[in-house]
Amino acid sequence: MSSELFTLTYGALVTQLCKDYENDEDVNKQLDKMGYNIGVRLIEDFLARSNVGRCHDFRETADVIAKVAFKMYLGITPSITNWSPAGDEFSLILENNPLVDFVELPDNHSSLIYSNLLCGVLRGALEMVQMAVEARFVQDTLKGDGVTEIRMRFIRRIEDNLPAGEE
Amino acid sequence: MVHTSLDVVDEKISAMGKALVDQRELYLGLLYPTEDYKVYGYVTNSKVKFVMVVDSSNTALRDNEIRSMFRKLHNSYTDVMCNPFYNPGDRIHSRAFDSMVTSMMIQVC
Repeated sequence: MSSELFTLTYGALVTQLCKDYENDEDVNKQLDKMGYNIGVRLIEDFLARSNVGRCHDFRETADVIAKVAFKMYLGITPSITNWSPAGDEFSLILENNPLVDFVELPDNHSSLIYSNLLCGVLRGALEMVQMAVEARFVQDTLKGDGVTEIRMRFIRRIEDNLPAGEE
Repeated sequence: MVHTSLDVVDEKISAMGKALVDQRELYLGLLYPTEDYKVYGYVTNSKVKFVMVVDSSNTALRDNEIRSMFRKLHNSYTDVMCNPFYNPGDRIHSRAFDSMVTSMMIQVC
């Protein structure tokens, strides 16, 4: 499938959300919610196609996310850096982000987190494998940074077996 | 003056009729020389027109260079179009486009 069609589709989605919601914060929240709903479904596809076993610790999870998942769905392999001393936080560094090809953020949307969908996807997918995590962007090429950096933080293992509700 | 040159562009387009359009046809060449300036035109398949006004004292500019400048302009323009925040018809605010145009102009001055 053409990556341009994908990029333009995502772009149309974001601009439509910007028109529907007045402020950037609401758009960010919506993107996160949408990403979450994608993530809880995508994880099944991922596990079926990639055939990776259960991860034993967060480091393994990080490797699988970067080397298998991102490669499979976005065709890129982010690098993993900045592990916290406790081993519960790490950064994914994306040299290039296919979602943002050709995109330039206008000045009136300076607090928009354009690729926030990705954070939602990561959160939703990991929740379905019993991991509560937080994902957020700390650097973004759209805002002038050299690379795009997503910080992933492990919150806790989810013990109860209640099915994840849709948001 | 740019408006008069737009009229010449329209004239040339209608003269082309049903000719097969390829890269060479897109380039319209020297539109008309005036005392101080030379004006060059370039039109895309989507009827977007690029007009370049060059000072006549700059005799070093050759046809090939003008063609390649238009090609770069066209490429940058398509990148601007792909920006989902850009509405076709708006004034172009893209930083990438501006810096490409500026560097091109600096090269020929």
